[in-house]
Amino acid sequence: MPASSSQPLQDDLVALMRRETRVFPGPFVDRLEGRLVTSGTQYLDHARENFLLRDRDFSILYRKGHGVFVSPETAAWPGEVALYLEGSVYAAAACLNGLFPLHASAVAVGGGVVAFTGPAGAGKSTLLAGLSARGWPMFCDDTLIAQVGDRGDLACLPGHKRLKLWPDSLEMTGARSIGVVSAAYPKHFASPAGGDVARILPLRALIVLEEAEECALVPVSPGERIALLDDDHHTRLIYEDAAAITQADKFRLLARIAGRLAIHRFARPKDPARFGETTGFLAERLEGLAE
Amino acid sequence: MTEETGGRIVKLTDRFVETAIGDETVIMRLADGDFFALDGTSLAIWQAIDGARDRAKVSEAVGLLHQGDPAEIRRDVDAFIGELVAAGFVAG
Repeated sequence: MPASSSQPLQDDLVALMRRETRVFPGPFVDRLEGRLVTSGTQYLDHARENFLLRDRDFSILYRKGHGVFVSPETAAWPGEVALYLEGSVYAAAACLNGLFPLHASAVAVGGGVVAFTGPAGAGKSTLLAGLSARGWPMFCDDTLIAQVGDRGDLACLPGHKRLKLWPDSLEMTGARSIGVVSAAYPKHFASPAGGDVARILPLRALIVLEEAEECALVPVSPGERIALLDDDHHTRLIYEDAAAITQADKFRLLARIAGRLAIHRFARPKDPARFGETTGFLAERLEGLAE
Repeated sequence: MTEETGGRIVKLTDRFVETAIGDETVIMRLADGDFFALDGTSLAIWQAIDGARDRAKVSEAVGLLHQGDPAEIRRDVDAFIGELVAAGFVAG
């Protein structure tokens, strides 16, 4: 959503999201605006005030200004429901309140944020865990929520999701498991060794993760930045639906962000035996990226 | 050259949006969201297309900014305008 004079002050954003994502028990809901929302699907109403997510045994209804209503309690609670609350529901609440999502994990560096993006399996969470083991505080995992300023600067909200790692990444990073997500989704919740951050910080750089034989960190050209910011992650699709944004408006928004944000490609081998080397390569350059 | 434009190269502004970023211009085709980045000579040609110039005049304008063999500049201009026509950004 393009910036406007009615946007909440940054200090209020954390409080806003905390209020909007309060969870309450509620009735089972399978229709919105008279439309049946089937299991495994989600729906945003035309007023952009209500977001309904259905699964086989439960429904989750986000109502703007009122919070999140979950019903009924089933064997899926709290694990499976919690994942939806952290994922699509949180993204919907953020987007319906004018915030912008990036599919990225991030660390806090020198009063700012350096984020890592790439498709599923690119190694975002693993890299985050590796840098955290070197002392960099975790800022967020998997989804970065931000307010876009008038000039395209991004003020990032501290992460709302727990760090999740596959078992091989746990071993590679030395991260401590604090429990398995679920039998159906056997990632482990992990505690970031470098701690985390609880305040809003500006985004300083975005790193696009790629695989290559040797490490290289290369700045992205201005024109290519816009294309790289245009992703099709489910949180971005929720944003585009919530903002009812036209193609032209989306282009102008991404161009505004691209004009301000430094973006680099980080190409590196994904060989687990070289993880220390590749993480160290990036760690040495983090402070320079955050300037 | 078409009857509609009388030889002039005309941007079809309802089919794209553009923005300058750094020393590039990025164009997004509205029909499919595809991006195109222009810099250097391609950007000079794009900027020289003002709706009043034909290919010869566009080449002339580019030649004022970029020294080179006029025939080669004309070939570059023809080729790039052909790409722009194929992409749906200009007519003429």
